[in-house]
Amino acid sequence: MNSKEYRAETMIDREDQARPAKAAAAGQAAKPAEPAPEAKPSDYRYIGKLTSRVDGREVVTGRAKYTHDVKLLGMLIGKILRSPRAAAEVVSVDLAPALALPGVMAAIKLAEGKVRYAGEQVAAVAAVDERTAEKALGLIKVEYKSLPFVVDWEKARDASAPQVRDGKPNVEPINKYNRGDVEKGFAEADVVVEKIYRTGFEIHHPTETHGSVATWDGGHLIVVDSTQNVHGVRDGLARALKVPASNITVIKTYMGGGFGSKLGLNEYTVVAANLAKQTGRPVKILLSRRDNAMCVGYRPSSLQTYKVGAKKDGTLTALKLTNTASGGIGAGDDVAEPLVDIYKCPNCKADEQTVYTNTCASRATRAPGHTQGAFGLEGVMDELAAALDLDPLELRRKNYSIKNRGDTGIPYSSKALDQCYDLGAKAIGWERRNRKPGEGTADGPRRRGLGVATSIWFGAGVPGTLADIVLYPDLSVEVICGTQDIGTGTRTHMAVVAAETLGLEPRDIAVKEGNSDYPWAPLSGGSQTTPSVAPAVRDAGLKAVERLKAVAAARLKIDAGDVVMADRKFSSKADPSKSVPFADVYRDLRRETVFHGERAGMPSDFAYNTFGAHFAEVEVNVETGRIRVLRYVAAHDSGQIINRLTAESQVLGGITQGLSAGLFEERVMDDATGNPVNPNLRDYKIATSLDIPEIVPVFADLVDPRINNLGTKGLGEPPRIPSSAAIANAVYNAIGVHVREIPMTPKRVLEALKRKEAAS
Amino acid sequence: MREFKIAEPRTVDEVAALLTEATETTALIAGGTDLIDELKSGVSTAGLVVDLRGVPGLAGIAAEKGGLRIGAMTRIADLAGDAAVGRDYAVLKEAALSLATPQLRNVGTVGGNLCQRPRCWYYRDPEVICRRKGGFNCFAYQGRNKYHCIFGGNGCFIVYPSDLAPALISLGATAMIATAKGDKTIPLEAFYAGPDVDVTRENVLAKGQFLKSVWVPAPKAGQKSTYVKLEERGTWDFALVSAAVAGVVKGGALADISIVMGGVAPVPWRLKKAEDVLKGKAVTEAVVRQAADAALADASPLRENGYKTDLVFAALKNALTAIAA
Repeated sequence: MNSKEYRAETMIDREDQARPAKAAAAGQAAKPAEPAPEAKPSDYRYIGKLTSRVDGREVVTGRAKYTHDVKLLGMLIGKILRSPRAAAEVVSVDLAPALALPGVMAAIKLAEGKVRYAGEQVAAVAAVDERTAEKALGLIKVEYKSLPFVVDWEKARDASAPQVRDGKPNVEPINKYNRGDVEKGFAEADVVVEKIYRTGFEIHHPTETHGSVATWDGGHLIVVDSTQNVHGVRDGLARALKVPASNITVIKTYMGGGFGSKLGLNEYTVVAANLAKQTGRPVKILLSRRDNAMCVGYRPSSLQTYKVGAKKDGTLTALKLTNTASGGIGAGDDVAEPLVDIYKCPNCKADEQTVYTNTCASRATRAPGHTQGAFGLEGVMDELAAALDLDPLELRRKNYSIKNRGDTGIPYSSKALDQCYDLGAKAIGWERRNRKPGEGTADGPRRRGLGVATSIWFGAGVPGTLADIVLYPDLSVEVICGTQDIGTGTRTHMAVVAAETLGLEPRDIAVKEGNSDYPWAPLSGGSQTTPSVAPAVRDAGLKAVERLKAVAAARLKIDAGDVVMADRKFSSKADPSKSVPFADVYRDLRRETVFHGERAGMPSDFAYNTFGAHFAEVEVNVETGRIRVLRYVAAHDSGQIINRLTAESQVLGGITQGLSAGLFEERVMDDATGNPVNPNLRDYKIATSLDIPEIVPVFADLVDPRINNLGTKGLGEPPRIPSSAAIANAVYNAIGVHVREIPMTPKRVLEALKRKEAAS
Repeated sequence: MREFKIAEPRTVDEVAALLTEATETTALIAGGTDLIDELKSGVSTAGLVVDLRGVPGLAGIAAEKGGLRIGAMTRIADLAGDAAVGRDYAVLKEAALSLATPQLRNVGTVGGNLCQRPRCWYYRDPEVICRRKGGFNCFAYQGRNKYHCIFGGNGCFIVYPSDLAPALISLGATAMIATAKGDKTIPLEAFYAGPDVDVTRENVLAKGQFLKSVWVPAPKAGQKSTYVKLEERGTWDFALVSAAVAGVVKGGALADISIVMGGVAPVPWRLKKAEDVLKGKAVTEAVVRQAADAALADASPLRENGYKTDLVFAALKNALTAIAA
């Protein structure tokens, strides 16, 4: 799924996602607006507090079953043969030698005509065990006719470069935006700064590699998949296999991460289903780490040129961006949204293009577009602040907006970014920053600095999300939703909201999720899971309570309006001596036990966004080029926090990823072979625990008054968005030169220092 | 993974005999932390894997002739935790603690570390047949080479990845090699050979020979030593550039100095010219610069690894400052 499809699926669009026309276009009828939160945060017993994960014990004791752990009777192992060449015509595929190997139950050809990247699937086998399958792959004879290819996007721009797509140019526009008149804005500016920022190819590399297990039960297909989107995989399989969606069930068990790389149907899942059909046995296909690095996407690169103009006092007069992205055979990401939206400025222009190359297609990667855009935009804001001799935080406050599109659009329903700035600055000790970049006290070759970066993102949730609460006669309670907990804590959020609403404890609630047969919920991406699912559970819970109160009122022979629910009892407000235990009321419900909840809509004349401000403190060794992040504070406005514990975990994870991508992670491609040279975790370096500093998460706790019945917004992507940028800005504050490219390896830091030396 | 036979000899002589008489390709397995990966990925193949874990007498650290004898099968974790090593050879302890991760150090051995194969990402790609694997091209030379060598490249531009080797060579260690005709001892420095000698191998072991132990001489009076490893991340990383330095400071000047670098050449790289500049001098930034420049006169950086020349200076300065302090 590329960023365009991602936006459509997540209802994230450049237009306001709440507009009814847009909702209809995305397949959703306009919904009546959600009721405002009726409870104050201080009323809650669990919501907003720290609740341990309901599944924590399963996970840490190793009892949780992941897709990799699935073993079924008679299950075969499927393996995929992949093209070693970046572009070739597949002349012939001879499966016979593989099929002749004892233990091989099926072999199929997957590639017709051309392969366009190294790692593209060519053939597949199913065998009784992994070794036999591996051996069988080696026996398949493929004749390739090599074709010219290009994997370096800078070279792919040349007119003489091999054409990646038949009959289409390698360079293609992807986004244009304009408001006001930037040239007029530059003319009005006292200072104009123009800089270039680059971001590289970052691979998702979830701990659990991709994989599916497919089983046919007669005409019904059951697929266990490590996925962020059970409903989407089901619908994709229905299209690919021409099987009714009603005959397909997709199950996600426990999951070891996705970060956008597991958002939709994958090719290997179709292969597993086909091999299972052919052999009449379950087939499991797991991708290797190398496959994960070559075949299932990455964050596309960016080359962002910013030109920004401002008055002496910091008032922005013009913002201009040209960007060149590259996402292999995919369409790359446009990165202009932060620029277009976040800072008050009447004149803004963006012009973006993408370059096609012979590498696999990029995929949505935790905050597609925004993470790259925040790195560039927040970098140039700091370089502008230095040119104006202003505090970078003051420059941001000076251009604060209360309406979207740089204060030219519709008002934000809620925006606590100003509080995030205050809370974060206080927690990190912002006054300790170097007044001018690079002009701090040196400790030998070591320089310290502080940096800030801002994020804006979506996270309103999707109207129409469904959840059921089931009350059983034996007093057990179940909450069911076809969402998927991808490791973020959704199970716990469902339990917390149900328990809160029903006056129970989270451990009283049995949670069912991760199954496409359950009530519809959107894919888990775009920071939309909690603000979609939690309000639906709340709605179901409120309906259950209403019904229970009516039953209690009948029992107590009082008016339903007089019933209060507390301490597992229903009692009369007027006469507290009249009460009946929950248990008795539940039992009376025997014939009406399922309560359907739905997340409703939002008023369309507001913009619904999440915000955050990150602060980093770093130490840079100017001789070795090594950056150490010493301390980190992340302040977020995600509305009402559902569970502070999992929210904090989400923030720690986002910053860990941002630090890792900011300092270490980079896919390196080889021009001659058309293959990556680091498709492993030795040379593709990911931060270890020793690289991670103390991280302090802070929440602004502003309840959005109209977004949904809990006032909650998403938190999936926001902690990732400004994290590389805040570190880069802290490095700038420390050494007086912006590295302007991630990852900021020792090589690049030393090169930046040489640039500074040459300029002085 | 291709199939292979495994032999479990019980004596050193049996090991030598197995290696000498084998008609198939052989590989020795010690900790196995890397060999297994190599065999699984297909980067290397072996018809016969000879397991050293059942051979007595190959592990352990013992005082010998005023110095220390370290068996090839000694675990890295045991080397790092040894009291005598900690007391007399800081460079060795620091190098041992800098490498890999606690899990790998608990399994990996001194001999395995000293005989490990290169980490060049082209060599490690099973699809690539480079010169080191008997092919005709070095893909790194005109390819992606930010981690490759700046010294001693000759048709192949790997760096030797061991942290222990530079440390041991800086201390003047010798290697004891078991051969069919009995043991022989050579300086550890002479154990390694660059691509100009044999592009497919990193050491001088002949068929039938294997590394049995290393011996470190007694520290010189007043000797100080240290290991500086410059990495990209905080742990589990190979050196971009590392400096193993052992020396004696008398009256504020370097009376004796030995410098060996890792991450810069296909073999542990002795900085003889820098040592010559430093001898008899006090450690100042200017002297370090002069020494680094003398060493770097031999450097030929590739397209993407020029920054390593800066790191040579940084590593040298950090290490020399530490021993002169």
